[in-house]
Amino acid sequence: MKWVTWENIGVDRMACAWLILRWIDPEAEFSFIHMGEKSLPKDGEPFDIPGARYSHHAGHCTFYIFLKEHNLDDPVLARIAQIVDEADEIQEVTVEPAALGLDLICRGVRRISKDDFEALEHGRLIYEALYAELSRDEI
Amino acid sequence: MTDWLLLHYKLPSKPSALRVYIWRKLKRLGAILLHEAVWVLPDNPRTAEQIQWLAAEIQERGGNAYYWRANTILGEHEESIRQQFNEQVDAVYSDLLKRLEKPRADLQEIAKQYQRAASQDFFHSKLGLRVRKKLTSERGEKP
Repeated sequence: MKWVTWENIGVDRMACAWLILRWIDPEAEFSFIHMGEKSLPKDGEPFDIPGARYSHHAGHCTFYIFLKEHNLDDPVLARIAQIVDEADEIQEVTVEPAALGLDLICRGVRRISKDDFEALEHGRLIYEALYAELSRDEI
Repeated sequence: MTDWLLLHYKLPSKPSALRVYIWRKLKRLGAILLHEAVWVLPDNPRTAEQIQWLAAEIQERGGNAYYWRANTILGEHEESIRQQFNEQVDAVYSDLLKRLEKPRADLQEIAKQYQRAASQDFFHSKLGLRVRKKLTSERGEKP
């Protein structure tokens, strides 16, 4: 399946791409369009674009919405969703100090990558690592 | 010259809690409401992302939001807006400095509030640097 998002991916979209490839659609192909662009390719499922099915809803990040929509009931994924929520959405109360660090790292990863495809690949490593580490002290 | 993000929105009259919810989010971001009319934030990748999602959420909840990237035309206006942002964080920083002077100051609590203020310190207040230095040196004092 084809998946479309705005270019210049960050903490939420890297997480989503990793989630899609690992849990939803291993054959996923990604494409990137300019930020703000509304005309979407017809054959692609948009994500993390305002107004899309897979987007921020009710103060939650797109990663969180993916878990809900696909009934991914995994405590480690839920923990990652909390971290991404705190990194990417304005929160009154925060409980995950890793959130700000992860946000910074993902921005930096995009900055040092030659394009979004490369950033997405690096992002996969980050989230695979995060998942592995959080699985060890699952709460 | 600073690029500014401006946000202007209208919300449905009910539920009234929605008004407070959006207002608190903007305060949490460190945005300033100019003349009870337009919310302003300095433009950076983080604020731009947050404003975009906040506007989308306002839309989703039945309201209507416009946001722009803008520059002031008069330099003095730019200066005055910057100053308002500085005053906002400096108020917190000077309170924290006072509390750091006291014996047995709650360093953890002060550090937490420092971090929150620092996330809204868009123009790198000198006072913030003093709080930071004080906190890190206090931390170094072992019995």
